[in-house]
Amino acid sequence: MKLDVNALGTFYRMAREGAGLAAGRLTHMTDVETQVGVTKLNFMRGQEIRRDFEDSTEKVGVRVKLTGAIEGYSMIVFERENAFRIIETLLAESSSDDAVDIEEREFDEMTQSAATEVGHIMNSGFVDGWADVLEAVIDVSTPEFVEGQSAEPFFGDIDETPDDDDLALLFQSRIETVGTEIGFSHYLFPKRTSMASLLDRLRTSGGIEYDKLDGFDRMAERGAEEIAETATTLTGIDTSVEIRRLNFVSLEAIPQQLPDETLVGVAFEFDGMPSGYLIFLFDEESAHEIVDAMIPMDVDEDGFGEMGTSAIKELGNIMASGFLDGWANVLDTTIDHSPPEFIHDMGAAAVDPVIIQLGENQEFTFVFDTVVMADGREFDCEVYAIPDESDLERALNDLEVDRIEETPTTAEFQELDNT
Amino acid sequence: MKTYGSEPGAPTPVQVGISELIVSEGDDTLKSYGLGSCLAIALYDPDRDIGGLAHVMLPDGDAAEHSDRKPGKYADTAIRALLRRMVEAGANYTAVEAKIAGGSDMFEFESFGEGVGQRNVAAARAELEKLGVPLVAEDVGGEHGRTVEFTPETGTLVVKTADKNADHEVIEL
Repeated sequence: MKLDVNALGTFYRMAREGAGLAAGRLTHMTDVETQVGVTKLNFMRGQEIRRDFEDSTEKVGVRVKLTGAIEGYSMIVFERENAFRIIETLLAESSSDDAVDIEEREFDEMTQSAATEVGHIMNSGFVDGWADVLEAVIDVSTPEFVEGQSAEPFFGDIDETPDDDDLALLFQSRIETVGTEIGFSHYLFPKRTSMASLLDRLRTSGGIEYDKLDGFDRMAERGAEEIAETATTLTGIDTSVEIRRLNFVSLEAIPQQLPDETLVGVAFEFDGMPSGYLIFLFDEESAHEIVDAMIPMDVDEDGFGEMGTSAIKELGNIMASGFLDGWANVLDTTIDHSPPEFIHDMGAAAVDPVIIQLGENQEFTFVFDTVVMADGREFDCEVYAIPDESDLERALNDLEVDRIEETPTTAEFQELDNT
Repeated sequence: MKTYGSEPGAPTPVQVGISELIVSEGDDTLKSYGLGSCLAIALYDPDRDIGGLAHVMLPDGDAAEHSDRKPGKYADTAIRALLRRMVEAGANYTAVEAKIAGGSDMFEFESFGEGVGQRNVAAARAELEKLGVPLVAEDVGGEHGRTVEFTPETGTLVVKTADKNADHEVIEL
């Protein structure tokens, strides 16, 4: 199975079109204004998908089996409580004197069938959007209602879901109702053979072997672990990698997924094969925590003064070296990075210059999203590694997948002399 | 981000994401979050309460392929698309005025050359000049992010800045 940017770009358009149609139909059905949130193509391992689900909230899902131009499963997932709220809106319209007892929060025949209906109409919206983009027919089975707290009832019996260590391509979208907190997630699990033949059809270049992407993801996994270890060594705060995934998104989607709040960040440009940009973002509380941990004495500074800034830059610099060394070792190359640039500003504003720079030559990008967190203390760090597209393609083609398992990744702790 | 359906006078501002442009009227508010080097371009006809906001990321759409697919991505094509849609909605071309905000240069990376933010500002000024649309106010450049909120009825562009001392600064253009 081979993929290229053009084929992934078409997939991304499919995901966006599908989300748009699904949101439109939900609005039509419930009269609730909706908007499409972040749409992503995720390359996720089975274990990560499962972990995504195990956040102990009760969820309900409506899934359909697809045949035709795409084979696999399409599933709408909502939190149980949200499902009830939507059903309430629906049933209140059709039969006002027979209102649902929301307090009970159990699905009876009527509420389950209403929830299934909503889910099915949204699934069909997605599928119609994909069919439009592909100009092909996709058939949809009758919907199945699923509920539970873990991944098991949702994916357990589906062959298409990847094993723990398999990297699967997943379409993920978020639809939100305007002004409220009701959101839906959508997943598409395509069958590997169906995906392979689609990729073949959509590819316009030689493409990258899928297995190499898998290799690259493993390598990035090590880079992420390196970051967590570095952070622990330097700050004494026990950190670990919480989320890590490889996404394929349109450049514009990256700043949009950041929260509308002031963040503290360190940014680098890196140069080599591949070149690109690396950004670490902390929320303000975490950044203060880091400064306190790294500077033993009491510092009387407003916001982030000279000492705080340089402590965060130093941490960022060493984390960047560890992360990029991880890549360089596996790719058997050297990747240099610039001195750190400190930023304390709106999150999106920290990322958009990079998007603009890359946007001159590319529309989409692979993003290595990583979240490092600490137990009990504030240390939330989001890492965005955004490589130049053509460089990445070349670097991946040169990658020998066998090397990955053999290459140790060790960050060198070098002194920062440029601040 | 797309919004489906709209309630006139709804209190929630309509979000204008990167590379998007929206034309509206009356007291609707249009909002763009966290502009760094991106530029917010607001055009409005003060007599007819029609206006629009674009959140552009690049300067030159005429030089790019497929800019017709996403006119809101580039300063030049976004300005022309805003004008066209406003005129279609009943605005008078000769009355239209412009305000811009954003275009910071936050990083000094080698690859960034003369500054991505500055190029956006320069491109917007040049296109407005070419079309004879007066630029009546601006808050551009610097090294900080901005969030803008635009109301077509009043032509007010509110610019919020997260400044270095974490004091929130608000300017009304």
